Amino acid sequence: MKKFIAPMLVGATLATAAYAADDSLKAEIAALKVQMAELKEAQSKVNYEALKSQLLEVKAHDAGDNIKWDIDFRTAYDIMEHKLGASSASMIPAPGFPSPTYTMGAGAAAKTNKNSVWTNKLTLGMAAQPVDNLVFKGALGFYKTFGQSSVGDYSMFQDFDWYGSSKPQGENVIRLKEAYFLYFGEAGDMPYTASFGRRPSTDGFMTNLRADNAHPASPVGHNINMEFDGASFKFDFEKLTGISGFYAKICLGRGFSDTAGSYSWDFSSAYGADYANPDMDLAGLLIQAYDDGQYKVMANVFQGWNMMGMGMNVNMSVADAANAYAQSMTFSPTGFLDVGDMRGASLSLQVNGIGNEINDFLDDTIFFASYAMNQTDPSNNAANDISMDAVSQGNMAAALIAGGVPAAQVPATMQGMLDSMNGAGMLGSQEKETGYSYYVGVNMPGFFEADRIGLEYNHGSKYWRSFTYGEDTLAGSKLATRGDAYEIYYNLPLVAKNLTAQIRYTYMDYDNAGSDMFFGQTGNPAGLMGMMPYVESASNLHLSMRYRY
Amino acid sequence: MKKIFSILLASFLLVGVMSSSAFADAAKGQKYYLKFLKKKTGMNGAKFATQHTQSEWKALFANDSEKFISTYSEKYPNLTKFFSSDKFKSKYSEHIADFCIEYASDSGNVPSC
Repeated sequence: MKKFIAPMLVGATLATAAYAADDSLKAEIAALKVQMAELKEAQSKVNYEALKSQLLEVKAHDAGDNIKWDIDFRTAYDIMEHKLGASSASMIPAPGFPSPTYTMGAGAAAKTNKNSVWTNKLTLGMAAQPVDNLVFKGALGFYKTFGQSSVGDYSMFQDFDWYGSSKPQGENVIRLKEAYFLYFGEAGDMPYTASFGRRPSTDGFMTNLRADNAHPASPVGHNINMEFDGASFKFDFEKLTGISGFYAKICLGRGFSDTAGSYSWDFSSAYGADYANPDMDLAGLLIQAYDDGQYKVMANVFQGWNMMGMGMNVNMSVADAANAYAQSMTFSPTGFLDVGDMRGASLSLQVNGIGNEINDFLDDTIFFASYAMNQTDPSNNAANDISMDAVSQGNMAAALIAGGVPAAQVPATMQGMLDSMNGAGMLGSQEKETGYSYYVGVNMPGFFEADRIGLEYNHGSKYWRSFTYGEDTLAGSKLATRGDAYEIYYNLPLVAKNLTAQIRYTYMDYDNAGSDMFFGQTGNPAGLMGMMPYVESASNLHLSMRYRY
Repeated sequence: MKKIFSILLASFLLVGVMSSSAFADAAKGQKYYLKFLKKKTGMNGAKFATQHTQSEWKALFANDSEKFISTYSEKYPNLTKFFSSDKFKSKYSEHIADFCIEYASDSGNVPSC
């Protein structure tokens, strides 16, 4: 009996339990269904577009509302050689820096100087865009020779404002290379920009290729390549004219500010103007006449006022009463003064891809040609203060008379000799002088996927004067050359775009002195006072590795 | 001196031969945009690139630019022939993609002077 009852009890219990479990499961499923429906309803109310927009806002804020940095760091090794010609006189610098005194010595024989220099160059780029139509851009520059150096004992102009972070210095200093804001606006169908600050004015159009920079900075690199403070106003005429890429940009700037600063040694008014060189100003018009991605035509015209030249105290002595020309001179720089105005222009064409789909090599080859000119307008103010003691004056007068000059004409002759050394004029001339330069180059694919080979040539005439003080060629600006300059370079990506290498060889064959100098007597094509030795040729082998991110 | 120079030159060339990596080039992409697309899209490169985020551009240019070609052929029928060409797929698209990604709406890239 028990045998029957026990299984029956078990069966009844299980059946009851199963029934109860089925009810509970049903209840749970029903509850889950309700929850699912609630979730679906809640989900349907979520606005994904709004979420996406919020996420983008966060990303944009993160990327654009703070300063965004980029790094450009290069280590380079430069080997330079300068060949100096013989001269009728040579300078012997005397101790006394920073106001050196030079004594004109005997003629110098031709000689060759060789040196090699290691450098580190760091540019920290900055960018911020708090709103769509306003941008800030800047760059901090550090460029220095390895270790402690003797640079500071030699050069008066080493850290000059126009190239302070574009030439290697002897000191560990980070300088401001660029800082400007840019406002974007639209006047009808004409977009425009307005910008003030320290300009992106180095390694511009065409010269960006030898610098291995993908994008050129603002001006035409052929005649302007230097650090500069000012403003620009760009007007985009493409929509109005239908001409691809057509824009004009007015550029204004000041290369020298005449101000005594505060607490000046002569107790003049704070930041008052008290200097021999008034403000040096420049106004230019940069025109991109056409750019369709393959053909690009650019031009510029500019006018500079109150260009600066170096003045000197010149002390002459004539030791020999039998020879009026047996002079010796001692002179020391006195500072800058206004030597006149200068104007210039350029016209450049770049072809990015030769022909149309002829082959990949030509499609990837860039060719450019450019012509530039300059014209001086000298003020003819005397630049030098000349003095001669009484004994020397007597010796000179006696020597002139002994040489056949009538006594009555001696004072005028002596004055004429002194005047010829007053340093008046621009580029060593008291006439308006015109200089010109042409510049051609090709940048083509190399042996691998993204390496590039470049060849460049430029020629400058006797009175050619460029504003290429910021050009990064240690042996001297090749584009300032009064003569011929040849260059070959090879750019090789090592690790994607982030680590690259460059080998570059530049040779400059000078026809005249005064390339890459200031605008007064130091720019004389015959050498300072027509007597000083000058570099006849120079070469620069440059090897570098560069990190960018 | 000569020794240092020789070592430097040798290491320079060695690193160069050992490395050399292929990559797309945004500058080339910009050139191709100006040359082939700008006139027909009616907008400059910066505006074109900011139409999408970086991830959106990457998705559009994935699988041989499949989605980019279909989307933009529809938007700009006069570019269909160009987008469908072998040259576009084999030569131009990777650089145009790199350009679009570099200047995308969320790239944080700031236009300059």
